[in-house]
Amino acid sequence: MGTLIDRFEEHDGPVRGIDFHKTQPLFVSGGDDYKIKVWSYQTRRCLFTLNGHLDYVRTVVFHHELPWIVSSSDDQTIRIWNWQNRSLICTMTGHNHYTMCAQFHPKEDLIVSASLDQSVRVWDISGLRKKHSAPTSMTFEDQMARSNPNQADMFGNTDAVVKFVLEGHDRGVNWVAFHPTLPLIVSAGDDRLVKLWRMSDTKAWEVDTCRGHFQNASACLFHPHQDLILSVGEDKTIRVWDLNKRTSVQSFKRENDRFWVIAAHPEINLFAAGHDNGVMVFKLERERPASAVHQSQLFFINKEKHVRSYDFQKNLESPSMLSLKKLGSPWVPPRTLSYNPAERAILVTSPADSGIYELISLPRDASGAVEPTDMKRGQGNSAIFVARNRFAVFNQAIQQIDIKDLSNSTTKTIKPPPGTVDIYFGGTGCLLLITPTSVILYDIQQKKNIAELAINGVKYVVWSNDGLYAALLSKHNVMIVTKALEQVSTLHETIRIKSATWDDAGVLLYSTLNHIKYTLLNGDNGIVRTLDQTVYLVRVKARSVYCLDRAAKPKVLTIDPTEYRFKLALVKRNYEEMLQIIKTSSLVGQSIISYLQKKGYPEIALQFVQDPQTRFELAIECGNLDVAVDMAKQLDRPRLWARLGTEALAQGNHLTVEMAYQKLRSFDKLSFLYLATGDQEKLARMAKIAEHRGDFTARFQNSLYLGDIEDRIQMFKEVDQYPLAYLTAKSNGLTEECEAILEASGLTEDQLSIPSMGTPLRPPKPIVPTFQSNWPVKSTSHSFFEKALLDQVEGLSPEDGIDPASNGLGVEEPTDGAGGKHNGHLEEEDEEAAGWDMGDDMNVEADNDFVNVESAETGSGSSEAELWARNSPLAADHVAGGSFDTAMQLLNRQVGAVNFGPLKPRFLEIYQASKTYLPASDGLPPLVNYVRRTVDETDSRKILPIIPKDLESIASGDLQAGYSAMRQNNLEEGVKIFKRILHTLLVNAVSTNHEFEEAKKIVSTATEYIIAMSIELERRRLADDPSNLKRVLELSAYFTIPKLEPAHRQLALVSAMNLAFKNKNLASALSFAGRILANGGPPKMLENARKLKAICERSPHDAIDIEFDQFAEFDICAASHTPIYRGSQVETCPYTGAMYHAKYKGTVCTVCGVTEIGAPASGFRLLSA
Amino acid sequence: MDPFSAEGELLNIHNAFHQGQYSTVLEVDTSRFSNKNALPARILTLRARISLGQAEDVITELEGEGDVPDLKVVKALAEYAIGNKGEAVQVAEALAETSPDNATVQVVGGTILQAEGKSEEAIALLGKHQGNLEAVALIVQIHLQQNRTDLALKEVLAAKRWAQDSLLINIAESWVGLRVGGEKYQQAFYVFEELAQTPSSSAPKSIIGQAVAELHLGRLPETEAALRQALERDPKNPEAIANTIVFLIASGRDATEHISLLKTTSPEHPFLLDLQEKDATFDKAAAKYTAKVA
Repeated sequence: MGTLIDRFEEHDGPVRGIDFHKTQPLFVSGGDDYKIKVWSYQTRRCLFTLNGHLDYVRTVVFHHELPWIVSSSDDQTIRIWNWQNRSLICTMTGHNHYTMCAQFHPKEDLIVSASLDQSVRVWDISGLRKKHSAPTSMTFEDQMARSNPNQADMFGNTDAVVKFVLEGHDRGVNWVAFHPTLPLIVSAGDDRLVKLWRMSDTKAWEVDTCRGHFQNASACLFHPHQDLILSVGEDKTIRVWDLNKRTSVQSFKRENDRFWVIAAHPEINLFAAGHDNGVMVFKLERERPASAVHQSQLFFINKEKHVRSYDFQKNLESPSMLSLKKLGSPWVPPRTLSYNPAERAILVTSPADSGIYELISLPRDASGAVEPTDMKRGQGNSAIFVARNRFAVFNQAIQQIDIKDLSNSTTKTIKPPPGTVDIYFGGTGCLLLITPTSVILYDIQQKKNIAELAINGVKYVVWSNDGLYAALLSKHNVMIVTKALEQVSTLHETIRIKSATWDDAGVLLYSTLNHIKYTLLNGDNGIVRTLDQTVYLVRVKARSVYCLDRAAKPKVLTIDPTEYRFKLALVKRNYEEMLQIIKTSSLVGQSIISYLQKKGYPEIALQFVQDPQTRFELAIECGNLDVAVDMAKQLDRPRLWARLGTEALAQGNHLTVEMAYQKLRSFDKLSFLYLATGDQEKLARMAKIAEHRGDFTARFQNSLYLGDIEDRIQMFKEVDQYPLAYLTAKSNGLTEECEAILEASGLTEDQLSIPSMGTPLRPPKPIVPTFQSNWPVKSTSHSFFEKALLDQVEGLSPEDGIDPASNGLGVEEPTDGAGGKHNGHLEEEDEEAAGWDMGDDMNVEADNDFVNVESAETGSGSSEAELWARNSPLAADHVAGGSFDTAMQLLNRQVGAVNFGPLKPRFLEIYQASKTYLPASDGLPPLVNYVRRTVDETDSRKILPIIPKDLESIASGDLQAGYSAMRQNNLEEGVKIFKRILHTLLVNAVSTNHEFEEAKKIVSTATEYIIAMSIELERRRLADDPSNLKRVLELSAYFTIPKLEPAHRQLALVSAMNLAFKNKNLASALSFAGRILANGGPPKMLENARKLKAICERSPHDAIDIEFDQFAEFDICAASHTPIYRGSQVETCPYTGAMYHAKYKGTVCTVCGVTEIGAPASGFRLLSA
Repeated sequence: MDPFSAEGELLNIHNAFHQGQYSTVLEVDTSRFSNKNALPARILTLRARISLGQAEDVITELEGEGDVPDLKVVKALAEYAIGNKGEAVQVAEALAETSPDNATVQVVGGTILQAEGKSEEAIALLGKHQGNLEAVALIVQIHLQQNRTDLALKEVLAAKRWAQDSLLINIAESWVGLRVGGEKYQQAFYVFEELAQTPSSSAPKSIIGQAVAELHLGRLPETEAALRQALERDPKNPEAIANTIVFLIASGRDATEHISLLKTTSPEHPFLLDLQEKDATFDKAAAKYTAKVA
């Protein structure tokens, strides 16, 4: 309430007039800068400015339907503007002093204006509307008018003509307004008068004058829907006048500020008045209808001051029973109503005349708004029935409570505590006395305080239907107390609390300005529904809320009570009820789940959730491993498996732990688990897996767990740790092994000095096969609720119920790859490993190393370059960050790179492009900034460096250069180019999987070309010496093997065919010719091949026997350029995939010149995520 | 009042200096300046001359010029510029002791200390400033050099509260922006572009700033145009050359020519020193790996 939304500061000097558009998100303003500005309050910007006035602009007003604005100005004109085409469409002259105000008529084509020339003028603008509406059949005059826009007609008038001039004020007139429905005008002037005018079609005259302001009256208006006039003036007052009697009804005076302007809200009963120091928003009357509820009947007083009743069961409003027109003053509605069922009487209070009450008996049946006949009255602010024949009247001025009988005679007088402001019913024979800081329970009989509760600003008291509890409402708080005034709970609302009523079950429903909410006795609360207008709750029954709106009309609102009924059932542990609710309503919402979780009922919340993630969380929380396992399988995320593993471990459910570890590929933990459970068989398998992974630490660990000395020695030998191998063998008494080791390292025993050794440690032997089944598992407690669900609700929703099949864990009935393989057959070791998904393992490994990098570089003030290295597992990004060391480590791990020399230009190239130098403060070195490829990213964990020569530039530049080198027979250059491509791609980054595939394709292309070109280059080197003829022929044949572009392959084939033919190797030549013809190409080449083929076919024999079997499939060893036939041992380059004979293992790849052939490697990587 | 504020007569000369328009600084007629502003104007002129490579002349001019701390510290800066670093640092440290409240001592002394790598001392000295934007800018730069973008940003935001529209703060904010990235790149670009493309404020320094911002935004053709413009204005500007090298390499082109140009014009440029160091690092790191079988 009353929050400043925004300021619009573009006017130069004061802003005097402003108006909101009725439908569009616009408002218009005019000020002392002569400008009219139209603004959008959505974009909070000035849309445009209308210039034209030559002096201060006083008022601006939108037309109710046309796109027009009328403005009045000190330049004595009134102007009409079209805000759609932003033009001035009419200037109305006639006033001969400042025009202070101009308004459109709400329906007709009229404008009324007020001026300091003491006149009010009414203008007819129907001509203007005609001219600006769509062209219909135009009269001659219209056409004339149209052809002379904005020009005066023959009488010197424009489109607007003065209809009436109202003279009567004898000073300047400040404000004027039309009545919304009647032909009335009200004006306010410096003669301190507010004048009412009436007009007909032909004339207008003064009706009456409202006298009272003792300074200039500055503004006035008609009440939007009541017969009232409101005016404000420089005498610092707001005055309300009766439209019909022209008498003052009410007035309000401010101490220091003069009022200048007043406005009415179009719908809500609110007014705003602007004064010297701000704006006050006020309403003229209380809107809360006086009402009382008895059993199934509501008694209330409507706007016409008629007493009516409403039957909740029949949903029926009675006709008026009484008219209270005479109660208090006509403009003041009654404040409270108290009902006495025994006597069928009501007590009504009104604040008029500083508080009066009336005791009236209701007629037996409602027969229209009759004036009450039998009534008793008196002075008092509050009056309530306290017993069948007694009521209490509180008079605040004299601080006295009178207890009266039904004949209105005082039977008892009570002196309430000082400062009492109100009294309420306090239970039989008691009163609740409200003071600003406390509530007092007062016993009328004993005349003493029974209880007192300190609480500020209580305004209303609402008793529960059973009379056990009461809700004390203040502006922003609700406190629930027992009938003995003991506090039960309290809650705070930021929005004003309007009313409250109790549900039969003891739930308090209360309304704020825009919501109906509930609160339980324990203070749990929530929203029931939103309200589009303020209502006063009187009763709630099942799904219906009964209320009175501000027009004092009974209304029924439908609500969904499920949420609070469910919560109530939960609080009362009424599981049947809960079950009932769950069965019958769709109670699945975040709020209820988080509520259950917060309140410590995760096992119940579990029943409501479909979302696997939430189900998992809840299952973990209540220790329901079965559900957790199901969900983890469904989601299959490492984080979840990790949590599941932890929870299962805590419960001792080691089968689940095993599954979680398998999913996580936590080899070490798994090994240890097997050791702990004594599962030797699986432990042995872990050892094999470790061996397969090449993870020596894990292998060592496993062999320790297993007590497998031989494997440990073997492993030490493999990693060249001969001293350790020897010691292990020695300490375990394996003499033969010792000797073998000594022999291998060329030492004798007497050359060694060995420390004394104790007996070797042995792992304990498992006695009980614990691993076969779980340890006694923590019993998952099934609440009544769960049992109920399991027994009765099975099939209600299969996902929610606990699937009995999942009670047996997946390990016993393997469903997923890892578990299945694991329990499966031992003999197939390779496949076993495949079950472990070796490729991914390596990635895991790489990631781990990446983590190490991170932990090595912490501390504040690390440069962006260091972040790059942290953010990426790619060598290229580490290079850009200047971390060559880690980049090399990564390359070594990923592709087995060992010879980094050829990569140096690439490293430096990337590094050099990574930083810019920004000249900054004079005399200091430039500021270094880091160039990113993630230009839009500012999250320091995601930024990555620019990598020059991206995939696209390689594909479109270097690769084509390589091809053209091939075409131009410039093979040495070609090899260089393709090697450069390999190096550039090796240290690079791509953003999508698709690009990565493309990069891999380019790598293999480059590899094929390098091999092919190297073969041909070798052939050319040898060609001069005839003794090499056999090798030359072989090489020319091998040249045709690599997978080159078809055109290039033809070149190789033609050269091989010609060479073979020349040397009478007709069989070979024949096969080459055949392949040429199969590939197709230029006709001349094909013709030639066909001819040769014909010749060769006559005697298909080779003169020189070469090692080239045209029918066998083979690859070419990239180092020796000899065939590798299928089935023979092959080693490959981890990067290019080039093949080598086994003897080349451990040497540097000749193709890329960087990697070690046959080195263990996790794989080439360009994608960072 | 801040003598460099919009009303002060020093505004133009001050802005020219910080936009890198050193010759414009020298052209300003300082003789009409009020007595109060004569010294700051002279300091700016002297500093502009040092930046233009006339450090020796400045030293000669200041020889025997009494005990004014402002002039002493400027002389120290000139000495530092021609390579008498030890002496210059001593003077700066002494002045930081004796007259730490002198704005010129703060800024110029801070510059010398930071240039010598004594960031802590420089920050301590500069931290004593009383609403001196130049000091703020220096602090920002020092924080950035220490990779404390967070502190730099804080400094800028604090200064913006009392010096919203100041040129220096805008520039300093752009420095920070180039570290932060994302949308800030574009904002930094706007600042530099406005300076660079307005004839009255255009100088190689701001054009380079513009080019750097373009490069960070990944707009390579625009970067090239801006760098060319900068090199036309000042063919030997080391930063222009260095950034050209970065640009060429980033766009996959050959930069040998510019590298050798940089080697001849400013062999001490951080780019070259850095490259040299990394060259050695590479060799050292690469030596750790060998194939199992040679």
